[in-house]
Amino acid sequence: MAITLDTPHAPSPRLPAVRWGAAGTALVALALAPLVLDSYYLHALIIAMIFLLPAHGLNLILGYTGMLSLAQGVFFGLGAYASALLSMHFGTPFVVNLFAAAGIAALIALPLGIPALRLRTTSFVMCTLGFVVIAQMVAKNWTDLTRGDMGLSGIARPKLAIPGLGDATIAITQIPHYFYLILAVALLATLAFVALIRSPAGRCMVAIRDNETLAESLGIPTWSYKLIVFMLSAAFAGLGGSLYAHYETVVSPLVFQMYYSNTILIIVLGGGVGRVPGAIIGSFLFVAVTEALRVTPELRMIIYGFVLLVLVFMFPQGIAPLLERATEWLSRLGGKTDANAEKQA
Amino acid sequence: MSAVVDGPILSVQGLRKNYGGVPALQGVDFDIARGEVCGLIGPNGSGKSTLFDCCTGLQKSDAGRVLLKGVDIGGWPMNRIAREGRLLRSFQKTVVFPTMNSEENLILAGQMARFPGIASTFSIGPASRARVKALRERAQELIEVSGLSRVAHLPAGNMSGGQQKLLQFASMLMPEPELVLLDEPLAGINPILIEKVIQCIESANKKFGITFLVIEHNTDVLMNLSHRVIVLHQGQKLADDTPEAIVRNPQVVEAYLGG
Repeated sequence: MAITLDTPHAPSPRLPAVRWGAAGTALVALALAPLVLDSYYLHALIIAMIFLLPAHGLNLILGYTGMLSLAQGVFFGLGAYASALLSMHFGTPFVVNLFAAAGIAALIALPLGIPALRLRTTSFVMCTLGFVVIAQMVAKNWTDLTRGDMGLSGIARPKLAIPGLGDATIAITQIPHYFYLILAVALLATLAFVALIRSPAGRCMVAIRDNETLAESLGIPTWSYKLIVFMLSAAFAGLGGSLYAHYETVVSPLVFQMYYSNTILIIVLGGGVGRVPGAIIGSFLFVAVTEALRVTPELRMIIYGFVLLVLVFMFPQGIAPLLERATEWLSRLGGKTDANAEKQA
Repeated sequence: MSAVVDGPILSVQGLRKNYGGVPALQGVDFDIARGEVCGLIGPNGSGKSTLFDCCTGLQKSDAGRVLLKGVDIGGWPMNRIAREGRLLRSFQKTVVFPTMNSEENLILAGQMARFPGIASTFSIGPASRARVKALRERAQELIEVSGLSRVAHLPAGNMSGGQQKLLQFASMLMPEPELVLLDEPLAGINPILIEKVIQCIESANKKFGITFLVIEHNTDVLMNLSHRVIVLHQGQKLADDTPEAIVRNPQVVEAYLGG
């Protein structure tokens, strides 16, 4: 992986402008989507944006810190259950549930991470796989809390207070409302993710991924950083789980299936691990396409599998590097155009 | 860390280490004075690198004590020894952070000395940016001094072995250490680079008063560089004297230097 905190080597002066331009264009296109797409496709985009959150978490722990955790699905499920239970038993508002879900997921990650992070490489992966199995069993069998296989239904739809207007609220009931709400949360989470990896701590994470012993020898408390990253990645997943619960209004032990952890892994690896746009591209490509392929249920998973195979063989580093090359090409093209204009002048 | 200012910067007392019953260190004792450049030589398998590992917390010794500035650092994790003890080390095999360029490698090396704690490293506020700016300036100075300016933009993994060696050495200086343990700093590099590394060690020692303990098989260079040389043989200290006395020591000649 030849990447450095998403800062290209010797970038041309135009490159950051092109990248911001591309990001801005994508954001405007997304914001306009409800005006042109019907509910079905908006639903697919909503699911993609929900999955972007645990994908950011996995990208943080795998892409930037070098540890493969299969437990993202567990924290996603915990966030969903936490939000559902708070909403049903205490009637807490959506925003409180959202932050509580992130906090609870992070807090549960703490005692899980303390023993798990003593392990390395495949042992750590196996340990996180164990968490998935345990979470499934707990969700199925702790029926007093989770209602077992029946799951929790009737989770309140979000209501947002309008600042400065007293008790006035906006009820999120329609798909386009959900779309904008989840877009806003996904955008804020993405900005938080970028801030994290651009912070000095982000540099420590990359150091741990590159060479943990060297990092330790330079005074970096690697175990503490790994634990914090594990908790942060759980918090991102918990946020996603909360959005999922309030969007679907139903949560069942199915959220702890390996399918969810697998999907999150495919998003990150397929999009481009250790790159900010990787998880974003991956979530739209793999979740939205999967949802869209429901129109051909017989061929859906076959096409999905075929796409994965093509990706592994043709683009082993994911889709994001292709996008990077495209932005560099655009940057060079822009540079040449500027140079020609100067010559003519 | 409350340190004893006078007295040796590093004191190794009765250090023992076994690997599955095979003794690597058998009760090694020595002191390193502040400001010294001390050589550490011995045949392969004599316990030199194990000694470094035990002094820096990479491995736990089975018995004995390591006092850093008078403080027993037994049981301290490696990162604490580096951060609080200001003791840094290089590794026998040159290691850098391969995906980061030289500047990022150097900023990272100095980061924990500049930031007051883990929490502060998660900030991107003005105080954090000011610290990184200061680190960046120091990194640029060291890049220039090390002669790495031409390749500074490359990921360190794409640099040559010699350039990585220089980068590794510059990384040691970034956090302004008091004691540096260098494990074969001259191995596998050309004569011009050897000269450059020697100059860097001498300059860091004279200008900044950094103490060095250096493992090196290039004995001619090491004897010129060191104020004192310690010889290890089969996990025991064989000799500890000035370079001139070491080369004349018949036991050292027989065990290591040869005819």
